[in-house]
Amino acid sequence: MPPTPSKTPNALLHGALDALILKTLTRGPSHGYAVARFIEETTGDAFLIEDGSLYPALYRLERKGWVEAEWGTSELGRRAKLYRLTDAGREQLAAEMATWRKFSIGVSKVFAT
Amino acid sequence: MKRLLRSWLWRVPLDQEFDEEIELHIEMRTRELVAGGMDPKDARAAAIRKMGDVRRLKRECVDLGRKRDREMQVTLFLEELRDDIKFAFRQLIAAPAFTLVATLTLALGIGANSAIFALVDATLLRPLPYPNPDRLVTIWEKSPASARGFASPPNMQDWNSRSRTFEKIAGFTPSVASMVLAKPDGTAETVSRQWVTAGIFDVLGVPPLAGRTFSADDEQKRARVVVFSEGLWESRFNRNPAIVGKEVKLDGELWTVVGVVPKEFEILGKTSMWAMRPFVNMPPRARGSYQLQVVGRMKPGVAIEAAQSDLAAVADGLSREFPDFNKGRSVALEPMHDTMVGSDLKTTSMLFLGVVGFVLLICCANVANLLLARATARTRELAVRSALGAGRLRIVRQLLTESVVLAIIGGVLGIGVGYAILRVAPVLIPDGLLPGTVTLQFDVRVVAFCAVAALIVGVLFGIAPAWQATSFSSPEVMGSDSRTTVGGGGRLRSLLVMGEVATAVLLLFGAGLLLRTLMAVESFDRGFKAQNVLAMLVDPLGSTYPTPEKLRQFFDQVEADTRALPGVQDVAWSSAVPLGESVFGEYPFTYAVVGDAPVDPSRKPTTNYQIVSASYFSTLDLAIVAGRNFDPRDTPTSPRVAIVNEAFARTLGGRNPIGLQMEVAPADSPNDKPTIVEIVGVAKQVKQRPDETTDFIQLYTPLAQDLVGDIMLMVKSQTDRASALAPSVRAVIENIDRSQTTSVASVTTLEDVEWAATGRHRFRAVMVSAFAALAVVLAMVGVFGILAYSVQMRIRDFGLRRALGATTGDVLRLVVGGAAKVVVAGVIVGLVLSAAFARLITTMLFGVQPLDFVTFATVTIVLGIMTSIAIAGPAWRAARIDPAQALRTK
Repeated sequence: MPPTPSKTPNALLHGALDALILKTLTRGPSHGYAVARFIEETTGDAFLIEDGSLYPALYRLERKGWVEAEWGTSELGRRAKLYRLTDAGREQLAAEMATWRKFSIGVSKVFAT
Repeated sequence: MKRLLRSWLWRVPLDQEFDEEIELHIEMRTRELVAGGMDPKDARAAAIRKMGDVRRLKRECVDLGRKRDREMQVTLFLEELRDDIKFAFRQLIAAPAFTLVATLTLALGIGANSAIFALVDATLLRPLPYPNPDRLVTIWEKSPASARGFASPPNMQDWNSRSRTFEKIAGFTPSVASMVLAKPDGTAETVSRQWVTAGIFDVLGVPPLAGRTFSADDEQKRARVVVFSEGLWESRFNRNPAIVGKEVKLDGELWTVVGVVPKEFEILGKTSMWAMRPFVNMPPRARGSYQLQVVGRMKPGVAIEAAQSDLAAVADGLSREFPDFNKGRSVALEPMHDTMVGSDLKTTSMLFLGVVGFVLLICCANVANLLLARATARTRELAVRSALGAGRLRIVRQLLTESVVLAIIGGVLGIGVGYAILRVAPVLIPDGLLPGTVTLQFDVRVVAFCAVAALIVGVLFGIAPAWQATSFSSPEVMGSDSRTTVGGGGRLRSLLVMGEVATAVLLLFGAGLLLRTLMAVESFDRGFKAQNVLAMLVDPLGSTYPTPEKLRQFFDQVEADTRALPGVQDVAWSSAVPLGESVFGEYPFTYAVVGDAPVDPSRKPTTNYQIVSASYFSTLDLAIVAGRNFDPRDTPTSPRVAIVNEAFARTLGGRNPIGLQMEVAPADSPNDKPTIVEIVGVAKQVKQRPDETTDFIQLYTPLAQDLVGDIMLMVKSQTDRASALAPSVRAVIENIDRSQTTSVASVTTLEDVEWAATGRHRFRAVMVSAFAALAVVLAMVGVFGILAYSVQMRIRDFGLRRALGATTGDVLRLVVGGAAKVVVAGVIVGLVLSAAFARLITTMLFGVQPLDFVTFATVTIVLGIMTSIAIAGPAWRAARIDPAQALRTK
C-alpha cells in the first residue's frame, strides 16, 4: 500500500499517534505495552493517551499493511503478540515525518517573525 | 508471504487474540505500578482504569481484525490467481503444438456458437423495438375455418371501443403491394406500400422522425394520407424534412405526406410507405370482409389471459348482434413477438443452436482429451508439487486456471471467427427468413456471449482432466519410471472419444436428412417447366389507361410486340408466378357449384385465384388435361369462363368439371354478389410451394374477361439466357407507353424464383452440413489423438511383443481393435441418439422419413471411412516398430 501523506493540520494531529507507533517500531518488534511505555517515556507528559486507544490504532495499522503481527514471547515468558514494521510501514513513516517537518518548519517561521 | 502465512498458521480466534493482548498489557502495567511502590490490588485497578472502556475497545479491534482477515483472503486469492495465470502461460508457451490445436479447436467452437447466438438473439431473445413490447399482442379472428384468421374492420373497431383491457387496437393489411409514384420529371417508379388503419402508430408507440403520424381526424375526413419510411425518405428525398405536408402522386391520385417513421416500423412489412385506409360509414357487409391483421396494446399490468377473456366476451356480444357475419367467430391472442418471428424461424434458430451446441461439446471433449494426455505426462511434476505441500484442491485450481486461460484465448479467437461468419452470413440467409428489419449484428452481446461461453467451456473441459490428474499417490508416482506410467486417464479418454463419434454421427444424420429434403424439394415434379422464362412486374398507371379497353389494348400490344422480338418463344400475362408471389398477396376465393345446397359462408371451400392470358399454359409447358384452353372466343362480353386444376376438379364430387357453372367470390367478403363462371378446362396440377404436402386448389380466369392493375409479364426465351431479353422487353414497353408512366419492377427468371423458393431448405441443409463436417473432422482428430498417444505410450510394449514373435498383423489387430471398439460404440450410440432426435426435426423434412434407412447407412459408411483414415496413421506407425529400437527407447 502506498504511503498516504496527510495534508491538513487536523489530519496531522490525528495521524500523530500512528506516526509515533510506526517510529517506535523502528527499534524492533514490540508488544502493545512496550509501545505504550516507549511513547510515554519519550514524549513525557506532552502526549497523554489512554492505554486503550493504542490498540485500535495498532489494528488499523495492521489492516493497512504497515505493521504485521506475530506470536512471540514476552518478558514474562508468556505468549505475546508482537508488532513488526513492514516495508510499506517504513515508507509511510518517512512520508509522515517529511510532512511533519514541513509543517513544523512553517509554524516555526511564523513564530520567528 | 509472511502476511499470507498469518491467516493459515495463526488460527487463534480474534476475540481471544485481543483478550490475551489486553491481559498482558494490564499485567505488565500492574507490575510497573507495584514496582513503583503501589499496593498490588490498587495497582491492578489503576491499570484497568488506565485502559479505558475495554468492551468498546474490544468491539472496535475485533471488527478491524475481521475486516483485515477478509481483505487478506481476497489478496491471497488474487495473488495465487496471478501466480497460476503466469504459470499457465508458461506451460502453454512450453507446449506450442498443444496450445495451437487446443485454442484453434475452441475458437472454431466458440466462434460458430457466437454467430448462431447472434441469430437467436436477433430473432428470439431481443424484444420488439417498441416501447413496452410485452404489452403488444396480435389479435386473430378465430373462425371454424381458421384459428388465426384476419379480422374485418368493423369487428376491429368494436373490439377497440368495447374492450376494457386495451389502450388501443389497430390493424394493417398483411401483404405489401406497390403503388406507382410519379416523379417531378414525368417518369414513374414503383414503390412498395402497406395499408394501415389510423391508430397503428399509436398502438406500436413509434414517434415520427419528422411530421406526425395518422390521426382520428384524418380518418373522419377520409383524407388521402401516407407516412414514409425512413428508407424511402433517405434514398429518394435525401432526408429533407420539407417533404412533410407535401402532396405526391401515387397511382395517379394526390396523397399528402404527413410524416416519416423510423426503420423499426418496417417490422410489419418491408415497405417504403404506409397509407391510411379509413374505415368510416362502412356498409354492413364490411363486417364480412376479413382483411386486417390486428395489433393491440394492452393496458399496463394486464395479463394476456385477462385480455383474451375480455375480448372473447366482446366477440361473443358481436356474434349475438351480427349473427349473419359473426356466428361462431371469436378471437385468439398471442404475443406480437411470436407473430413476428414465426414458427419457421423459431425452429430453424433452435435447430442451429442445438447443432452448434453439440459442435462445442465435441470441441470440449477434444481439448479435454488433449489435456488428459498432457496431464498423464505431467503426473510426475504434479506429484512433486503435491509432495511439496500443495493440496489437491490447490493443484486442481491451478490446472483449472490453465484450462480457463486456454478457453479465454480460444474465446478471443472465437470472437474473430464469429465476426467473420457474421460478415459472410447475410449472403447465405434466404430472403424472407428474417422478419422485417431484423439484422444479424456483431455487438457487445455477442462478445459477452463469447466470454461466458469461454468460461463455462474452460471449466467444462478442464474439470475432469484436473481431477484425474490429481488422483495419484505421490510416493508411488515419483518412485516409478516415467516409461511405465501409462496413467489411469485411458478409460476416460476412450469415453470422451466415443461421445465425440456419437455426436458427429448425430449431426451427420441430421445433415443427411436435411440434404435429402433439399434434394427432394429441388427435384420435385412441379408440373411446369421453369427453364428460360423471364418474369417481371408491369404496373401501368391507372390514369393513363382509364378504361378496361385501354388497359387491355396496352397488354395486347406489349404481348404482340414482345412476341415479335428475336429469340422470344412465347409471351404470357399472369397475376402470379408459380412458387413465387401473387400480385394479390394471399387472396383466396370461395367457390360453390351453382344449384348446390347453400353452405355457411365460413365453411365454404376456398381456391387460389389467378388471372392469366391464354398463352400462360404454353409458356410454362403446363398441360390442359381436359377441356380447352382459353381462346379468342372468350371476350369481355362473352359468358365468363374458367380453368381449374386437378385438385379443384377432385373436390366436385366426381362430377365432370367441364361445363359446370361455379359461383366464386373473394373469401374476405363472402357476402358480395358472387361471379358465375363456367369451367371450360382442367389444367395439370402445379406446385405452389416447393414442399407442399397437400395439393392446393387453383382456379384460372382469362385476362380477356378479368383485369388486374399490376401484372406479371412472362417471356419464354428460345435460348437459355432468358435474362438477356430484359432490356429489349423494357424497350418494347417504353415504346408503347409514350407517357413513360408504366413501371417495370422485380425483373427475374422463374429459375431464380425456384431457387429462392427452396432457399430455406438449402440454408438449413448447408448450415447443418457445414457444422456436421466440422464435427466429423473434430471427431477424427479425437480418434487420431487418442490412438497416436496410446501407440506412443506402448512402443516398448509392442517392441517386446514383436521380439517375442508377434507378427505385424498381431500388433495391427491390437491397435486397430482398440480404436475400432471405441468408434463402433460411438456409432451405435450416435445412431440411437439420431433415432431419438430425428422426431424433433420432422417439420423441416420433406420427401424423407425421419428414420430414413439410406441416411442411416450413408452416415455409418461416411463415418467408417473417415475414422479409418484417422486410424491409419497411428496403426502404420505401430506396424513399423522395430523391436530392437523400441526396447531401447525411454
